[in-house]
Amino acid sequence: MARVELRMPELGNEITEAMIDAFLKDVGDEVSEGEEIVTITTPKVTMDLEAPASGTVLELLVEEDEIVAVGTVLAVIET
Amino acid sequence: MALRHMMVIRAFESGVASLKSKGSYGDLTYAYKGPAHLSIGQEAAAVGAAMALTPEDHIFGSHRSHGEFLAKGLAAIQRLGDNALTTIMEAHGNGALLRTVETHLAEETEHGLAENFLLVGLLAEMFMREIGFNGGMGGSMHAFFTPFGAYPNNAIVGASAGIATGAGLWMKSEGRDCIAVSMVGDGATGCGPVWEALNFAGMAQFERLWDNAGFLPVLFFFTNNFYAMGGQTNGETMSWDRLARIGAGLRDDAFHAETVDGTNPLAVADAVERKRHVLLEGKGPAILDVECYRFSGHSTTDVNAYRTKDEIAAWGAVDPIRTYRDSLVSEGILDTAAADAIQSEVDARMNAVFMAAADPETAPPPRLGIDGAGIGRKMFAGSETPSDGPAPEPLSDPEKVARIRQNARKSRGGRDANGEPLSPLKAITLRDGLFEAILHAALTDSRVIIYGEECREWGGAFGVYRGLADLLPHDRVFNAPISEAAIVSTAIGAAMEGGRPVVELMYADFIGRAGDELFNQLAKWQAMSNGLLSVPVVVRCSVGSKYGAQHSQDWSGLAAHVPGLKIIYPATPRDAKGLMASALASDDPVIVFESQRLYDQVELFKDEVPEGNYKIPIGAPDIKRAGSDVTVLTIGPTLYPALEAADLLAGRGVSLEIIDARSLVPFDYGQVLESVTKTGRLLLVTEACERGSFAMTLASNVTRFAFGALKAPPRVLGSPNWIVPGADLEHGYFPQPFDIEDAILTDLMGVAGHDRKGSRRWDDLALARSGL
Ligand SMILES: Cc1ncc(C[n+]2csc(CCOP(=O)(O)OP(=O)(O)O)c2C)c(N)n1
Ligand SMILES: [Mg+2]
Repeated sequence: MARVELRMPELGNEITEAMIDAFLKDVGDEVSEGEEIVTITTPKVTMDLEAPASGTVLELLVEEDEIVAVGTVLAVIET
Repeated sequence: MALRHMMVIRAFESGVASLKSKGSYGDLTYAYKGPAHLSIGQEAAAVGAAMALTPEDHIFGSHRSHGEFLAKGLAAIQRLGDNALTTIMEAHGNGALLRTVETHLAEETEHGLAENFLLVGLLAEMFMREIGFNGGMGGSMHAFFTPFGAYPNNAIVGASAGIATGAGLWMKSEGRDCIAVSMVGDGATGCGPVWEALNFAGMAQFERLWDNAGFLPVLFFFTNNFYAMGGQTNGETMSWDRLARIGAGLRDDAFHAETVDGTNPLAVADAVERKRHVLLEGKGPAILDVECYRFSGHSTTDVNAYRTKDEIAAWGAVDPIRTYRDSLVSEGILDTAAADAIQSEVDARMNAVFMAAADPETAPPPRLGIDGAGIGRKMFAGSETPSDGPAPEPLSDPEKVARIRQNARKSRGGRDANGEPLSPLKAITLRDGLFEAILHAALTDSRVIIYGEECREWGGAFGVYRGLADLLPHDRVFNAPISEAAIVSTAIGAAMEGGRPVVELMYADFIGRAGDELFNQLAKWQAMSNGLLSVPVVVRCSVGSKYGAQHSQDWSGLAAHVPGLKIIYPATPRDAKGLMASALASDDPVIVFESQRLYDQVELFKDEVPEGNYKIPIGAPDIKRAGSDVTVLTIGPTLYPALEAADLLAGRGVSLEIIDARSLVPFDYGQVLESVTKTGRLLLVTEACERGSFAMTLASNVTRFAFGALKAPPRVLGSPNWIVPGADLEHGYFPQPFDIEDAILTDLMGVAGHDRKGSRRWDDLALARSGL
């Protein structure tokens, strides 16, 4: 059992933050590595972030519609 | 008929040749000053092609186009009924050309009348007369007449390839049963834009991704006379040994390429007819390599140094007119006397046509007006033509599209309750403003199509279109190849056929790759067609930064220099949306400059960016901050450093009035002159290099029109005349707030002992001496 964090990734030069559009998984859901967990939006793109590991979603740490800085932990998965 | 049509073309061009060389033809003595790119010897190619085409098929001709134009016109006249011909001739220029023809050339039949109409219309155009097909605005290489399916001929070698391809794009979009023909020479196979057009017409997506599957119905008709002007294509300037082989590099069916005997009109007609069927089935595009020979020189100054008398004589033995006439006689279809009679009739007609077209009474020149207002008035349509049909249903409910949902949650204004600017994720940005205007047009006007590199899934290079692909099928928004020339030229062709393309050039720096298309085609056809054609194209290009010398240039002034283009450069979300709406509605071509630094800009000046569609007139500058001591006129993103400078200077008791130009062409000086009359001082700020910039034009005009009110000469603060350095050095290149403050305090206000904080301490006159 280990805790794996999903962070807001680097999104390119200028971009320092992004908006959480929607979570595609809930706390308690099983996810496999590479599965999409959350949709985010920057001024230029909308993209889905994938689970960094297989396991169970333990925590979702930000809210939908929240603007989040690059590097912020968005979710924790227990493997 | 083919024989007679070839004779008509030969007689017409021989007449022009005679005017050029002897100053007379038949009963006419006349000094014709214009160009004479004659196609004597090539008549079978033009006539054969036209025989296989309907009036609804459109040809886009070359610089050597008298034959192409006449052949298409004669063939169309042949196919059209009397009533249709009467309607067409009456409609053109309120019947002025028809009246002249009726009065001065007796003719019993409607078809005979139409033939005279065609010949006089072309010759009068060459003589720059008002009754000419383009009102005397086009001349020899540009005459065209759309009701007969003859679209613009082009003095730029190869340029008609891209325009014809765009026409094919729109014909396909409308599901028309007709084709577009690009007529270019063998020399044009050396032109990059021709290759771009070939590739564009055969893009795989037309077959694989579009609902209405099928390639563009474009026939690339290469009139291969073996020479450019004096350079030989095969064996000297080109790599190919047979023109038709270029098809092999494009697709495994080689675009159905064939070499055709261009001295035989029936061989050409047969080939064109077969290709036409292939095109109508969506299996094109097609290439024809039509071998023929021009007996005449390239132009009248040609001394034939590049070819031998023997060569000319050998081709003379297969003169298409004599050969075809002989074959008709030997097959018993025509007897010699009848053939001679046709020739005499044609010669007599031509004499009368030349007399009518040259006579200043029957064919007066256009009135230019001493102030140039004659031609000036033709530069822009100045109109808007609303869509008359509903746009197709979007692919999905717009309210469910993520981008649109996000925008709906955003604040329409750009400040929070404390007046602080909001994050671009929370407020409508300039990017969103552009998107909203384009979305509105796309959903309400079926004529709007959107393309450019990476426009579909990527959403345009900078995300302006993000979300659009969820709503519009491939034929409304698509990815174009990396072919800036084809992107612009196809947009022109599609617009000539009724479409309203919105195309994106990723960076303004790439304008060079579409230079001819923007400056010689898009800018010209409204005026060169005497207003018969409009080219409602919106070209969006971003102005970059941080990517160095080839990705950061503000070339708005370059575009403004060329007459015929409207230019906007919005700096706020509200202006971007309103100006874009005007651009989309306009019947004129509009180039939109969009600063990449401003895509995330929220609205700081007005309470909000209205949700509904609204237009801001192109040409009206806007006061962004009122003041009393100095007028600062900004172009594009320089508005923001000017505002910072205003804050800096407010501390010293100097009040700036900041006016955002918003548009470059047209430009209404009223507000600026009023402001300068009040302040007596003007600073113009631009990111363009100062030398030759549009700001210099503005400064010069303001000096002239507000001279009495000026306390100091207007000062242009732009970028220096050297390359844009990389990201870390940009602050020393683009005008910064301190530079603006320095320029105001020293150059405009003459504050003694001002300690300059900006980086511009150089001596402009010394720099100019070294070319900087
Ligand atoms: C872009 C461009 N480059 C050069 C010219 C000058 N020019 C006019 S005609 C010509 C030769 C064109 O050869 P080809 O395409 O074979 O047509 P042809 O003259 O043989 O009919 C040239 C170089 C031009 N009009 N446009
Ligand atoms: Mg040639």
